[in-house]
Amino acid sequence: MPNSILKVENLKKSFQVAGGLFQKSQHVNAVIDVSFEIEEGTTFSLVGESGCGKSTTGRLITRLIAPTSGSIVVDGKEIATAKQSELKHLRQTVQMIFQDPYASLNPRMKVKELVGEPLEIHTKLSKDEREKLVLEMLEVVGLNAEHADRYAHEFSGGQRQRLGIARALITKPKLIIADEPVSALDVSIQSQILNLLKQLQQEFKISYLFISHDLSVVEHISHYIGVMYLGTIVEIGRKETIFNNPKHPYTQALIASVPIADPTLRKKKKVLIGDIPNPKNPPSGCTFHTRCPFASDICKQAIPQMRKINEEQSVACHFVN
Amino acid sequence: MTEHVLRVSDLETSFMRDKTEIKILRGVNFSIRKGEILGLVGESGSGKSLTSLSIMQLFHGTTGKIVKGSIYFNGEDLTKMSESEIRKIRGKQMAMIFQEPMTSLNPVLKIGKQLMEAIEMHLKLPKSESKHHAIQMLKSVGIGRAEEIIHEYPHQLSGGMRQRVMIAMAMACHPNLLIADEPTTALDVTIQAQILELMKKLKEENETAILLITHDLGVVAEMCDKVVVMYAGQVVEEADVFELFASPKHPYTKGLIASVPKIGDKKEVLDSINGHVPSPQNMPKGCKFAPRCNQVMSICQEESPPTVEISATRQCSCWLYAKKDVEVNA
Amino acid sequence: MTSPTTVQNSQVQKKQRKYSPLKEFWKSFKKQKAALLASIFIGLLIVVAIIGPYIAPYDPFEPDYDALLEGPSASHLAGTDEYGRDIFSRLIVGAKISLMVSFSAVFLGLILGTILGLISGYFGGWIDKVIMRSCDVLFSFPDLLLAIAIVALLGPGINNVIIAVMIFSVPSFARLVRGATLNAKENVYVEAAQSMGASHVRVLWKHIFPETISELIIFVTMRIGTAILAASGLSFLGLGASPEMPEWGVMLSSGRDYLGTSSHVVIMPGIAIFLTVLAFNLIGDGLRDVLDPKIKNN
Repeated sequence: MPNSILKVENLKKSFQVAGGLFQKSQHVNAVIDVSFEIEEGTTFSLVGESGCGKSTTGRLITRLIAPTSGSIVVDGKEIATAKQSELKHLRQTVQMIFQDPYASLNPRMKVKELVGEPLEIHTKLSKDEREKLVLEMLEVVGLNAEHADRYAHEFSGGQRQRLGIARALITKPKLIIADEPVSALDVSIQSQILNLLKQLQQEFKISYLFISHDLSVVEHISHYIGVMYLGTIVEIGRKETIFNNPKHPYTQALIASVPIADPTLRKKKKVLIGDIPNPKNPPSGCTFHTRCPFASDICKQAIPQMRKINEEQSVACHFVN
Repeated sequence: MTEHVLRVSDLETSFMRDKTEIKILRGVNFSIRKGEILGLVGESGSGKSLTSLSIMQLFHGTTGKIVKGSIYFNGEDLTKMSESEIRKIRGKQMAMIFQEPMTSLNPVLKIGKQLMEAIEMHLKLPKSESKHHAIQMLKSVGIGRAEEIIHEYPHQLSGGMRQRVMIAMAMACHPNLLIADEPTTALDVTIQAQILELMKKLKEENETAILLITHDLGVVAEMCDKVVVMYAGQVVEEADVFELFASPKHPYTKGLIASVPKIGDKKEVLDSINGHVPSPQNMPKGCKFAPRCNQVMSICQEESPPTVEISATRQCSCWLYAKKDVEVNA
Repeated sequence: MTSPTTVQNSQVQKKQRKYSPLKEFWKSFKKQKAALLASIFIGLLIVVAIIGPYIAPYDPFEPDYDALLEGPSASHLAGTDEYGRDIFSRLIVGAKISLMVSFSAVFLGLILGTILGLISGYFGGWIDKVIMRSCDVLFSFPDLLLAIAIVALLGPGINNVIIAVMIFSVPSFARLVRGATLNAKENVYVEAAQSMGASHVRVLWKHIFPETISELIIFVTMRIGTAILAASGLSFLGLGASPEMPEWGVMLSSGRDYLGTSSHVVIMPGIAIFLTVLAFNLIGDGLRDVLDPKIKNN
């Protein structure tokens, strides 16, 4: 059994939302119950639509926000309840790549400062030593030394995302949380970045927690997948199994909804009816029952438990055995 | 053969910056027939959105200006019309929906009021009838509780609902042409599937021609009859959708199709196109795609390629095919 | 990056667009003619303030009882006051006091206000409430009234004027910086820095404070004008500089009695105050047009 780099159990986060003038403030459960594990050197993807809690889960694991309850074990250490001051080690082990390469790089800093910033925070290296590492890292992500003295706005979108990756990689982290890292990029650039991420994984044995709404991208990059809907994982397992044999009606609908870039495969789709419910006011029982074509009375009343249906797949649905 | 609803010919559009002209569209040609969905595909900076704004002549507040070319809509040249003549066409015979419906709906007006305003203005219906018509339109775009929705404000609706309202508004006057600029990019996949189905249904019912602008090749493959691929302000390839995906001709189209990850595809490494789209101020000489092209020849860096007619339905601007042509002729 | 053409290309590009924020700033500021003129005026004033005692044609403290309340003439450019002292020399030497008082008051207010504003905006919660409510209390007094109250409490004198003007500057700076901080905090790169493990001090100093600088620069220039006015006002009321000092407010105040007969005694320091305050405000306006992100984006 390979080592687990991240183990999340029963993670929960509720936010308090200020009410209007005459309304009481409410609790919104952004993440209701999330458990998964990432093995060393593999990619685990969280997929789902807006409001499903995938990004919140990512931010909980970096402890940018504190969980309401549950456990997060990173590299053998429990960090769910750790104080901010105790998280320095975590910040070195876990790094993040953001969706918007324009916004996540400080426009006032030169590349060598941007990419070198984690070193400045975590190591006692001198300025020259830092710069040397920055230049090496720029080469690794496909940029070159002459880029080091420029500002972020002088780069194209794809190059900026390369800078983001270089910055995440420079402290030699074991886990990188990539929150929609390619969704702001053009297709031809997107594939460059996906290839780079894969290549870096092989080279440095990094694990990724990949957060995305794009199933084609997820299918390409992942080893394991968790499908989220309104704060819970509804289906989780090996990528091949999930895509070839999805069990949960939501997973099925999600996969079927993806437009396929081949006109010969055009078919009349089973379109999922209705809207994604507001997380402030989630449906009772199985949160998917309002849109599920197979919903019956039990779905409105009881929350389905996650069950392992075979070695490679677990599903939370009343009707899957 | 049905007639062309829209024919764009040699369109050039520029912006002025610091008294210098920056050419964004450099000769765009395509046409759409009645009841046809034309996909306009390209990456950011390809000029696909500016093409739609040029057709609508919506340059408000910008320095954009059509420098050359013509846009024939139902046989009449829009570039020769006055602002007031165009305003009569806009919204009535030619409507547009945008990527982010929230920004194109007025946040302080109720949905019904906005819809009715458009209907009253263009169809000249009395108030009572226009309300009825508005509710009918909302129902036709799949909004079940239309009677309630007309009393709600845009922010009370979900993204998918807003896009439905936008489509209802656009379709209210039964336009000949609907321009949809990335209509589903801001939506979730399951909602996107709903909206795409809806657009197909409306097209079949009303025989509306649709200009679908998108970066998503999946959406193109699902929806379109014909595809125009744009790069750096030019059309590089035009083809029937089946032909295009089966055998792309232009190296850019080839690269684009190959870089999309496909579900079920076992490829470990995706194909990609090196480099990035050049900025309008720094356009390479010759073929604009030459610096990124994997089949680049010396002539590509010197001269712009001609548009070569490969078959009756296919055109491609690339020296690879022009050269063969020359050889065959010689 | 193997083919020679691409390498050449990127070198050409590098030459073409060597980006320098300062150059960009100067390029747009040059176009603000009024502000440019005002900056030249202030620049000269600062030079005069520094070398004042050496260039003043007369001793500003030396009475000349043969030339009491003389109007402007070739020998006394701005005339003389009730003791026969050369008003022009007094204005030149007084420039130093006025500028020093306003600069140091605004500078101290800037430091304190910025720190409070950063803390308030960044951490939020109860600390934000405490700081902002205290500011609201100070805001509820009219500026000058507050300054008068403070000087009355501390006793008259130039140092206490500085403290008073500083205290009434702090809330405005704090509120401004808090607003800018709240905006800057939303930047994804701030979250990125936090996720890297940057300390609060580092995030504030490296990633948030720079975002507030342009607004601060604009505000400081405006505020200096106000501070000059306030300091002069306090001196005019006899709460600031001692009566024999050539401070502009004091001169205005002591000339008051002769307004009917020899109006130049009041008009000359009045013009000095007016021009200086106007110049600072013009610079502030010009800087706003160049620096303010809200205007720049349009």
